[in-house]
Amino acid sequence: MSESRLALNDVSVEFAGLRALDHVSLAVSTSEIVGLIGPNGSGKTTLINAITGHVKLAAGRVSIGDTTISGLSPREIALQGVSRSFQIVRLFNAMTVFENVEAAALAKGTPPDEARERTRTLLGEFGLGEKADELGESLSYGDKRRVEIARALAAEPRFLLLDEPAAGMNDAETETLLHTLAELPKSRGLGLIIIDHDMSLIMRLCHRLHVLASGRTIAEGDAAHVRSHPAVIEAYLGKGATHA
Amino acid sequence: MKPSHLTALVLLAVIVIIGVGSHLIGIRLYDRIATNLMISLVLVVGLQTFMGNSGLLSFAHIGFMGLGAYTSAVLTIPSQMKGMALPDLYPFLTAVEVSPLLAMVAGGLVAAAVAAAIAYPLMRLSDAAAVITSFALLVVLYTVMNNWSALTNGPRTLFGLPRTTDLPTAASVAVLAVIAALVFKESRTGKLLRASREDEVAAAALGANIPALRWRAFILAAFLAGVGGSLWGHFITSFSPKAFYLKETFLIVTMLVVGGANTVTGAVVGTVLITVAYEGLRGTESMLNATSFGAGQVIGLTEIVLALAMIAVMILKPGGIFPSREIGDILARLRARKETRS
Repeated sequence: MSESRLALNDVSVEFAGLRALDHVSLAVSTSEIVGLIGPNGSGKTTLINAITGHVKLAAGRVSIGDTTISGLSPREIALQGVSRSFQIVRLFNAMTVFENVEAAALAKGTPPDEARERTRTLLGEFGLGEKADELGESLSYGDKRRVEIARALAAEPRFLLLDEPAAGMNDAETETLLHTLAELPKSRGLGLIIIDHDMSLIMRLCHRLHVLASGRTIAEGDAAHVRSHPAVIEAYLGKGATHA
Repeated sequence: MKPSHLTALVLLAVIVIIGVGSHLIGIRLYDRIATNLMISLVLVVGLQTFMGNSGLLSFAHIGFMGLGAYTSAVLTIPSQMKGMALPDLYPFLTAVEVSPLLAMVAGGLVAAAVAAAIAYPLMRLSDAAAVITSFALLVVLYTVMNNWSALTNGPRTLFGLPRTTDLPTAASVAVLAVIAALVFKESRTGKLLRASREDEVAAAALGANIPALRWRAFILAAFLAGVGGSLWGHFITSFSPKAFYLKETFLIVTMLVVGGANTVTGAVVGTVLITVAYEGLRGTESMLNATSFGAGQVIGLTEIVLALAMIAVMILKPGGIFPSREIGDILARLRARKETRS
């Protein structure tokens, strides 16, 4: 697959006059993992919603390569190769795990046989083979998260946006997830943007970090750079913490 | 056997058993009830294809049944009778007289075409807005049938349809309807539509074109309703627009919701249960009236008990009797569990 970039250019989002995102620029290529971190309410989920068309931009532009995707509907953006998971899991509850994942492949127009095959492979990769026939609603929280990620991948996206994929998982599950996600850029040639509050997961997984506070970018770079950045320490620990 | 095939087999067996059983008993009343049941099956299973897969309650279904019935009437009433039955009929239609089978297909196609033409903008709506607009659509269809005298004889009773619907015919159509609903549910459109039913936002984020999916299901449902209407018209042979309104709507919605709208199994089970209950209650009602039990007449017992039954099911089992899995899936899972245990 050709290298392309998902880029946000000077993106702003407003909710009733409140700036949820303030001139944020960010780019991710199809071979890297970018971690999006910041305190609660800093605009992380809004940024993902801005990419996927779930909120309107007040200014700026989102593009994949030379194609502008901002202004398109969530459906059209999905068809451009952007998949996502949700902060609060959104599974198709009364459908089986298999159907959940299969639906994503079908939505992209994959022929039925191929969709079934891909679903089987993905469920195997995510250790969900035995649960294929269970209903979405009957799963444990960790399993639901896994199904959601498998479902997002079944659409064979170029970019995958994960909103707190490890929330609700235990340490062992998180560790497995870490390995699975770390492989994705290479094995599938896709770019990842990940939000999570688990700093150890984020620091180990991501090639680059992007830190938001109150809708503004306050730092970006590799883990070491971000960790020692005074603005980041201030945002997380409060003013004056740098001197402590 | 694949679970989906098992489902088809079980449901078709139910239809055949009811059909053959009531034929063997040989009581005319049972024959009539069984034929009615088969026609209801076509309607309820048809409603399931839209409502079950999309999750949107549609009140308009019976209106499309009416379109099918009237289409079939115009096409099959013998031309020498048309002068009396449909005095204002357009001249080019008076000579038309086709076989009831052909008219049934035409009834389905007319209903489907009308659905296709008017429903697309409605398919963008969800939740309460979708329900209310479907209700408005029923009112529109009813009003048109009530007033387009040239084609329907207005609010007066239209008579003269050949009586061609018998139990085997109705059962055969019911079998086809069940197969169509099962195939549709497992089709690409059916699967994506069910995904949108469970979570609209997530389904759209996968790239599903939800209005288009709903639209296809709505057309299929209208087609089956039209076929059911034609079938019913050739069973009852005379009717007026009143036959396609609120009471009938409530009855088929009850059948579907009690059985479980999400599954074809639920549609079949609900239809059978409510038909049996309905006929039983009606029998009780007329028996009470005949023995002049207590003071005055017992009126509306059937409707009230059915309404209460619907409320009870909604409270105790909101998804109906078969809320999410088809009978074939349930049996296959039971078997698998038994195997792992032994």
